[in-house]
Amino acid sequence: MNTERYQRQIILGGFGIESQQRLTEAKVLVIGAGGLGCPALQYLVAAGVGCIGIADHDVVELSNLQRQVLFGMDDIGLSKAEVAAKRLQQMNPETELILHPILVDRTNVAEIISGYDLIFDGTDNFESRYLINDACVLLKKPLVFAAVSGFEGQIAIFNVANELGISTNYRDLFPFQPGANEIPNCAENGVLGVLPGIIGTMAAGEIIKLLTKIGKPLINKLLHYNLLSQEQYEINISPSDEYQKVTTEAELMNNNIENPIQSYIEIDAERMMELSKKDSTLIIDVRERHEFPRLNANTFQQVPMSEFDRFASSNIKADHIVLLCQHGIRSVAAAEKLHQKYGDTKRIYSLKGGITKWRNHFLTF
Amino acid sequence: MEIEIISFGKISEFISNQKITIDCGTTDELKTHLENIFPQLAGMKYKLALNKNLVQQNSEIKNSDSIAIMPPFSGG
Repeated sequence: MNTERYQRQIILGGFGIESQQRLTEAKVLVIGAGGLGCPALQYLVAAGVGCIGIADHDVVELSNLQRQVLFGMDDIGLSKAEVAAKRLQQMNPETELILHPILVDRTNVAEIISGYDLIFDGTDNFESRYLINDACVLLKKPLVFAAVSGFEGQIAIFNVANELGISTNYRDLFPFQPGANEIPNCAENGVLGVLPGIIGTMAAGEIIKLLTKIGKPLINKLLHYNLLSQEQYEINISPSDEYQKVTTEAELMNNNIENPIQSYIEIDAERMMELSKKDSTLIIDVRERHEFPRLNANTFQQVPMSEFDRFASSNIKADHIVLLCQHGIRSVAAAEKLHQKYGDTKRIYSLKGGITKWRNHFLTF
Repeated sequence: MEIEIISFGKISEFISNQKITIDCGTTDELKTHLENIFPQLAGMKYKLALNKNLVQQNSEIKNSDSIAIMPPFSGG
């Protein structure tokens, strides 16, 4: 390590040669070398992070140059990861740069992130963000999250335990991926170039704080930043019980997490019982009135299929709606009807296998 | 009672920061109330924070509490 290069930060009280050494030993993966990734990469490389991975499958376009400050006119059409690495290596030859000029997807995410100590998500779409989050949860990798919209940004740190041993992830904040067109992206919504510059730089600051163990990083906190007002608003994130964590690589690759985009979710009786404890859950038995066993009407509202259309046209207030029947076939049809009406605004479930399969569970209600 | 509403991102385009008088006592009731007044909200993913703490289950609202309404951001 060339200490002259880092002298201005080494002499800082509370930083010193130990912190610099921690940066030198760190391996950080930056996913997305775009508006957020460019400034983050510049400061991480300049600060002397020892090894940095750059994952981006895109090529430079003219419309990127307004905010992606590592690129110039001569780079249009070239790989962002490769151009960024070339620039960054000139800035600091001491940093080892590893290129991943490919799309990070279900098939490769676990393998790519497994080689790093800390992941920075600077991607530009929800699919990547949920995938990276789930992979980091599975592999227990600290994740620095940053995102922008219009004149505002969000930053958070996930999968790092606080002093009480509690850690959170993006799904604790927003459990399910928004549907296509529900939330606009930068291409549709626009972004002032300096905003991802600020947010990406703030994220680099958080990464350096985490790696060197200085200050108070945004662990279990979401920081909102508004460029127009210069206002910041910090929210404490606590764990949610609305989703199930990915527990195996196979689940990650198959996207087995409950996802409202798949219209309705088939669940087992245990999940139904968990849901039944929420005030915002409605459980509906769609069997006809003559069918047995009869269920407790306080827990299971009876709406026979023959009357279901009329019921579906009424305004249902519950956020979670569980449908069940004898074998779990009619309840799927009912779930589809409700999904047609409510789309992704409500979570709709069908009890897989029906009452027949889970008979014992119904005795306990 | 009176509470303060603070909104972010796309939500701030149709719900401005304001003090409102409500007669609902819980966050679930407030959600229903807000979705009735602002129908755009009903079709979006968003989360509430009560006095800067993320709302993970139905919670009681008191006079002069602040409620933040946040959508997810994806841009980069």
